[in-house]
Amino acid sequence: MTLAGLLFMVLSLAFVWGLTIWCFRKVLTAPAEDHVVKPPDSLGG
Amino acid sequence: MSSDKQQWGSRLGVILAVAGSAVGLGNFLRFPGQAADNGGGAFMIPYFCALLFLGIPIGWAEWTMGRYGGRKGFHSAPAILGVIGRGSWARYLGLIGVLIPLGVSFYYVFIEAWCLSYAIEYAKALFTDTPALGIDAGASLSAQTSASKDFFATTIGRSGDGVLFADGLAPIVWVFFLVFAINLWLVFRGLSGGIETFCKWAMPAMAVCAVFVLIRVLTLPAQSEEQTVANGLGYMWNPNYDKLLDPKAWIAAAGQIFFSLSVGFGVIINYASYLKRKDDLVLSGLTASATNELFEVGFGGMITLTAAFVFLGLAGTTEAVAGGTFGLGFSTLPVVFAHMPLGNLFGALWFFMLFLAAITSSISMYQPTMAFIEEALGIPRKQAMAFVAVLGLIGSGWCVWFSGGMVALGTIDDWVGTFLIVVLAAVQVIAFGWVFGLERGEKEAHEGAHLRIPGFIWFIIKYVAPLYLLITIGRFCWLTLPGWIEGLGANAVARNTMILIAAVVALLAALLAVGTRRWRAQGLDVDGEHPPEDERPARAGGNQVKS
Repeated sequence: MTLAGLLFMVLSLAFVWGLTIWCFRKVLTAPAEDHVVKPPDSLGG
Repeated sequence: MSSDKQQWGSRLGVILAVAGSAVGLGNFLRFPGQAADNGGGAFMIPYFCALLFLGIPIGWAEWTMGRYGGRKGFHSAPAILGVIGRGSWARYLGLIGVLIPLGVSFYYVFIEAWCLSYAIEYAKALFTDTPALGIDAGASLSAQTSASKDFFATTIGRSGDGVLFADGLAPIVWVFFLVFAINLWLVFRGLSGGIETFCKWAMPAMAVCAVFVLIRVLTLPAQSEEQTVANGLGYMWNPNYDKLLDPKAWIAAAGQIFFSLSVGFGVIINYASYLKRKDDLVLSGLTASATNELFEVGFGGMITLTAAFVFLGLAGTTEAVAGGTFGLGFSTLPVVFAHMPLGNLFGALWFFMLFLAAITSSISMYQPTMAFIEEALGIPRKQAMAFVAVLGLIGSGWCVWFSGGMVALGTIDDWVGTFLIVVLAAVQVIAFGWVFGLERGEKEAHEGAHLRIPGFIWFIIKYVAPLYLLITIGRFCWLTLPGWIEGLGANAVARNTMILIAAVVALLAALLAVGTRRWRAQGLDVDGEHPPEDERPARAGGNQVKS
């Protein structure tokens, strides 16, 4: 395996692993769809 | 409209379901061959360009159209495209969005049965002394390859039509019935209880199997000075920069991304139609695409050719790549497993992983047809399921019976699973970018979004993607279509398979005509002339307190 081949492999793997981990982290830490903060009763909530 | 209200159970569930639909045999068997043939590591430049500038943007457009259609009460591609494209032209072209998943399911479930059958053979070999698939590792390499090819040909009935039924039912037919029943059962259980629950289990299981096989491949002992893991990885990844100047490499990269992400397949538009108005679709679409890429580049790009190179060397691997997806997967890799320490165990894991990849895709193929029949005829899910079961059994039964030379399978794959995908994608981006409008599209996509889509993506959706797709269709009609038509004339099975497809199209068109009448009678906005119910201002006096 050449150095250029190694570089392409490492960069490609870093990209797909990085993107996947970043996406799933964002999905799992995003607020739930039904998590709506209701205003207090005094404001008609 | 269907009487049963289907819904996704969770955000993660819909992402894994869409990713499951996208991850299939092509990730592990087609991608490595494409990469090695088109510049190795250098192929990743056009490949990632196609992902970022074509696959993900068209995917986002499809997610957006699907969710919008769902808000109007529709879940099938014809009805949704009728709304987006505002008229019957888009509605009838949208039938392709039902034909593709249904037609592909005809042969895909059969292939799924091959994967499970191979996994069972390897699992059986774990407990016996006989070599798996009859491949004797002590024989010459050519004898092993020949034994592997023979096993494959006999298993799938390649030698002639009807041979799988000639002497009672062949084992693969029983496996096919089992796989078909599992598919129907999962789809019948519904989106949340069946498809989503299964994908939440199957996707991590697939990843675990892939990690085990990957570790095994990367720790394989060298077979000679040449046949090492490093050289195997080099076969796949060493760049050939000259290929970057070859348009074919760029077209191959775009094609691979396109088919791998399942855009233009009719599945994403259906799945997204069950999202709620404020459900995110931008991050979800990106995450599903990223998951697919992880399986394709992270596992497919590391496992298949590396293992083949270590045991078969340069010449054997080059021959394997030339053998295409099925040759590499079902003829070459069994020879590799025959040589691999603990090969039966890893063979069972590998083919079980392929089976999971296939079944998470095939269940997504039945769902769009279910949704279409339910809403066209207004019948309950149970009756729609029976309808789909009959259609599926006829279509798949056709592929199993006409197994000779894989002509029936190949004909449907060419015309429905390859050509029509590009046509549907073109219809979708034109309807979305030019009729629905980018301004509305952008607003709709960003409802509840956890990410913003960069501005230049909209330019791509409106101009670049349609241009690419129309050029691809034109190029196909000019270069490939005449040969395909000639092929139909020369082969009766291919010709009759096209008649079967035409009969399915006629049936779907009749159902759409019935459905359109029903939807109009119910006062539904079939031609997308009004905003969805949840967007309309309250009618004067409707919500006002009477004085």
